[in-house]
Amino acid sequence: MVQALNSTLDHIMSGDNSVILLGEDIGKDGGVFRVTEGLQAKYGEERVIDTPLVELGIVGMSVGMSLMGVKAIPEIQFQDFIYTAFDQIINQMAKMRYRSGGGFTLPMVLRTPYGGGIKGGLYHSQSGEAYFAHTAGLVVVTPSNPYDAKGLLISSVESPDPVIFLEPKRLYRAAKIEVPDEDYRVKIGEAARPMEGDDLTIITYGAMVPTVLNTVKKNNLNADVLDLRTLLPMDVNAIISSAKKTGRVVIVHEAPRTLGMGAEISALISERAIEYLYAPILRVTGPDIPFPYRLEDYYMPGETRIMKAVKRVMEFR
Amino acid sequence: MVNEQNEKDVFVRAYTAMVLSRTFDKKIVMAQRQGRIGFYTPSIGQEATQVGLSMALDHDDVIFQYYRDVALMIHRGVPIEVILDQIMGNAEDESKGRQMPSHYTAKKYNFMSVQSPVATNLPLAVGAAYALRYQKKNTVVVATFGDGSTSTPDFHAAMNLAAVFNLPVIFLCENNGWAISLPTEKQTKVEISEKAAAYGMKGIKVDGNNFIETYKATMEAVERARSGKGPTLIDAISFRMGAHSTSDDPSKYRSQTVEEGSEKDPITVAEEQLKSLGYLNDSLIAKIKEESTKMVNDKFDIQEKIPAPVPSTMFDDVYAEKNWIIKEEEDDIL
Repeated sequence: MVQALNSTLDHIMSGDNSVILLGEDIGKDGGVFRVTEGLQAKYGEERVIDTPLVELGIVGMSVGMSLMGVKAIPEIQFQDFIYTAFDQIINQMAKMRYRSGGGFTLPMVLRTPYGGGIKGGLYHSQSGEAYFAHTAGLVVVTPSNPYDAKGLLISSVESPDPVIFLEPKRLYRAAKIEVPDEDYRVKIGEAARPMEGDDLTIITYGAMVPTVLNTVKKNNLNADVLDLRTLLPMDVNAIISSAKKTGRVVIVHEAPRTLGMGAEISALISERAIEYLYAPILRVTGPDIPFPYRLEDYYMPGETRIMKAVKRVMEFR
Repeated sequence: MVNEQNEKDVFVRAYTAMVLSRTFDKKIVMAQRQGRIGFYTPSIGQEATQVGLSMALDHDDVIFQYYRDVALMIHRGVPIEVILDQIMGNAEDESKGRQMPSHYTAKKYNFMSVQSPVATNLPLAVGAAYALRYQKKNTVVVATFGDGSTSTPDFHAAMNLAAVFNLPVIFLCENNGWAISLPTEKQTKVEISEKAAAYGMKGIKVDGNNFIETYKATMEAVERARSGKGPTLIDAISFRMGAHSTSDDPSKYRSQTVEEGSEKDPITVAEEQLKSLGYLNDSLIAKIKEESTKMVNDKFDIQEKIPAPVPSTMFDDVYAEKNWIIKEEEDDIL
């Protein structure tokens, strides 16, 4: 995925002089995960900016740049560090179009790696997507493979709305798949269905997608798997049509359970398809605790916990 | 820029804007007490600072202002109607009645959109300056803010970033002595202008009650910005003669005041200056004040008749196009 993101950023920058990247260690160093490797050498220090260490400044500057017609693509080194910029994201980035009556718009894309599974402990593992998905004015996307990473990044840069682009860092160097050289787009707001089945629906996104797919294959489940890809706005049609088809739903995400994306998905299905359900909607999520370093394998949802929920849903009567 | 030929016109125009702003503020505070508008943050006492700043700027310069800048807007040519529409939140308002009073947007005049969280406009000004320099425009970006803002992380971030990138930004602190109830001496241990040194930036302290002095200080900063010499922090000292807002009673926390018409009133200061230069006399002053009052009263009555925005507009402009969530909620509510 790192390679796909890097070449897509390169491609976007070569085609559009108004694109500027900024963030900590993204220039000379190429970013701590190497997503921006080589871009400063190619496009110069003015377009690939090594900024001082100040997340709120990176986001605030990006908002100001975008207002003047530059397409800013800031990077926050770890999503865990984004909170000093929260005011800028919630009160400036998300509200500019609305509060200016549509006069000022912000076509910016804020990239940040998120999630656990890399031995990062409390402050290099968080999954804060629900904070952003709770904020009107933002678009929130997260790819689960290199192909979608490229297509979603192009769509995000072309989007007239500000996008939070969450990169599941555990997948940065996983799953090598061929990514076409030519331009293509993954439409914002559209879920993928990497597996089709009739017995149950498993809804997931980001780093949990490969975990779910492996579990489904290994256990020969006849499952409809949805990879949401966009968390705000979610693909409600895909969610509801699959829930109606199977009548049994399990939601899997790494973020804590309480008020996570699973709560919203579950509510949407309850409101629109409760008469189709044969079993309660179950969530398999990270626990409601800070992210532990040494015991992260127990934190991350895996096959055992997913199968426990699948069994409960399938056997419910 | 002011030269000898046009100095009289420029100064009288500055004075007229100050008077119009003062008249406007008093009218709106009164209207709030009458229940005709909801809330207001008057600029009373800061007119000289704001007009002095505006005099030094070109139309293309970009302003990230805060919620107490009516004299600045008036001098820059924003029509009174535009300001009233925002305060009334009516159907003509540029932000479609979404923001509480004093939170203006005036795109045509290069006024960005006002936020409530203080100092969050400062990093935006830095980014805008970066973008404009990248686009090879010789434009200056100004951020205005109060003394309380200098305690925030956004102030620190913006000052440092502007200095590191050597950007054409002017940080103009409208130091009116009070952040709601907190006096400046309890806000910071040093002079605000001295903070600039810590960032490697020029800092200027100026008498913000004197529009000519503020104009000169701002010109110096503008010239520095346009010639690629980087940002400036201006600490313009004035006094907040009114309350923080119409929801605030300053008698609870401060005993000192500046009476209107006293020697510390920036409008009195301007009158003395312009009289001694021979540009104004008492009858001209009376005429300017009379015309301002009539203009504000007339325009208020006209704009007050404009209705509220239609309800469906509250669902617009969250995104370029409404997503399914907003469409569904709109259908449900309306």
